[in-house]
Amino acid sequence: MTGLRVLAVDDLPPALDELCRMLGEAPEVGEVVGAGDALKALKLLQADRFDAVFLDISMPGLDGLELASLLAKLSEPPVIVFVTAHDGHAVTAYGIGAVDYLLKPVRAERLSAALAKVTRMATPSGRPTPDAMAALPVESGGRTRYVRRDDVLFVEAHGDYVRLHTRGGVHLVRMPISRLEEYWEGTGFSRVHRGFLLAVGAVLELRSDTAGGLLAHTEAGDVPVSRRHARDLRDRLLEAAQHGQLGPGAR
Amino acid sequence: MTALHLRPASRADPLPVLAAAHRITDDLRDGLAGTRARRAAHRLRRLFGFPGLGLTDLSGALLWSGRPGPDDAVATVLEGVLHSEEPGSAPDVLVLPLHVHDELAGALLVVGDVRDAVAGQAADLVVQALERGRLEASAEQAAQAELRALRAEMSPHFVYNALTVIASLVRSDPDRARDLMLDFADYTRYSLARHGEYTVVAEEFRAIETYLALQRAVLGERLRVQVRVAPEILAVAVPYLVLEPLVENAIRHGIEPRSGTGLVQVHGQAEGNDCVIFVEDDGVGMDPKRAADILAGRVGEDDPAGLGLANVDRRLRDVYGAWYGLTVETETGAGTRVIVRVPRFQPGVLP
Repeated sequence: MTGLRVLAVDDLPPALDELCRMLGEAPEVGEVVGAGDALKALKLLQADRFDAVFLDISMPGLDGLELASLLAKLSEPPVIVFVTAHDGHAVTAYGIGAVDYLLKPVRAERLSAALAKVTRMATPSGRPTPDAMAALPVESGGRTRYVRRDDVLFVEAHGDYVRLHTRGGVHLVRMPISRLEEYWEGTGFSRVHRGFLLAVGAVLELRSDTAGGLLAHTEAGDVPVSRRHARDLRDRLLEAAQHGQLGPGAR
Repeated sequence: MTALHLRPASRADPLPVLAAAHRITDDLRDGLAGTRARRAAHRLRRLFGFPGLGLTDLSGALLWSGRPGPDDAVATVLEGVLHSEEPGSAPDVLVLPLHVHDELAGALLVVGDVRDAVAGQAADLVVQALERGRLEASAEQAAQAELRALRAEMSPHFVYNALTVIASLVRSDPDRARDLMLDFADYTRYSLARHGEYTVVAEEFRAIETYLALQRAVLGERLRVQVRVAPEILAVAVPYLVLEPLVENAIRHGIEPRSGTGLVQVHGQAEGNDCVIFVEDDGVGMDPKRAADILAGRVGEDDPAGLGLANVDRRLRDVYGAWYGLTVETETGAGTRVIVRVPRFQPGVLP
């Protein structure tokens, strides 16, 4: 993939600079163009194709919500992400069909989550079906057994191998953690750290300490959560709590 | 109730009359434009035995029960009454202004051969019901305004300390300054949030994590922190900004007044049907009598942290009842532990 072509729109020059800079640093993005008002943005969008538009809401003249409604009428509309200082517009924004909604000042991890959504919209399908790996074969004592995904509390990277931590013990499987993540992503697992994949429902307690580090406590031990992933894990735990999907057997 | 005098036959059994008057009062609680005003008109007409009865608010839009009055004549007289605020009449129709707390709110129309005094009693009943409805509404508004006023405000002490630290880091460690600026944005956004009365425990914990990140920047090595939360309480609905004032209090009274490091622990867990959150410091503690005074609301204006504690306690008890709220365990020199106890499920409390 060549990278996304992204248009950033904001009427405040420093805010636009910052947004363009952050987008430019993101690995998913190929090219960033900035526009200082909605009219300029409209001209750019008519002249050229963009995968996504990052759009400020409150702007003089045509505001972000109005511009987005116009864009929705295009034959091949770009994916829209709103960026705003005030969080009173979320409902309207999603009503217009925005894929995400960022609050200013923008955090890098929130921006990368939004870009992941944009990428998913821009390149549909092509990923493995979630149930391809409901159980993994493990060798033990010359025999092949299967470890069920539902029994795995967390996965730890170990070079080209992963260690599957279950209540009954640890199993070694030859597979890079990033590949297992792709298979298990939609099934209640979350990559909470470069070296760890965690079953969200297995978390018994979140612990944070003075250094600002976060640990997820499970029956099979503690899993470190990197700062970058802390927010996402908290969101997913809240969602699981709201839907009663916590605890053993809930998955 | 005035209606009792109207039909001597009812004296034998006043209950149906009282019940009818009570229902009329209830139906008029939302005013003459309320959804139940039409039902009130029907009940009023039946109670007094009028052939026809009309109710209107200031818009002049009439709700009729029974036989309506002659259209043209009624419209003219009604307009006159709503302007002059004096009673008026057309053949077969009496139009009485309805004054709620001395302010015109609408009119009552009585059709048929009805004595002025009786029509007057009906108007009195309507006026009393409307006045009561309005008092109830304003009492509710006052209670809500009070709850809003009790909501924690950003502490200037903390805001300027944090900004001072960030200003200094802008030179020495721009990346850290940027991180803290983003935390500061989250902190103010949460403190200024005005959408709805309630949030969830997850958001409260996120808010104190942000707050603690800023406090660590301010206090440095002096502050050690441990936060633990069990996922099953994350979705519990609670009023906004319950935890932060407690953590602020722990730092203010536990850590700041002494030299050396202090530890603040926040720990949330489920206990049966309750959600219990401990906020604990190993600081200077206080006389248990003072803690009792704070929770009883005997706290001076010059004690912002004590006020913060008392306000949180008040808000929790208002929402969940006297059984819930704060408990304080403390002793001079032995640290302080504040315990928040709220039900995990409470009807009507939704984020």
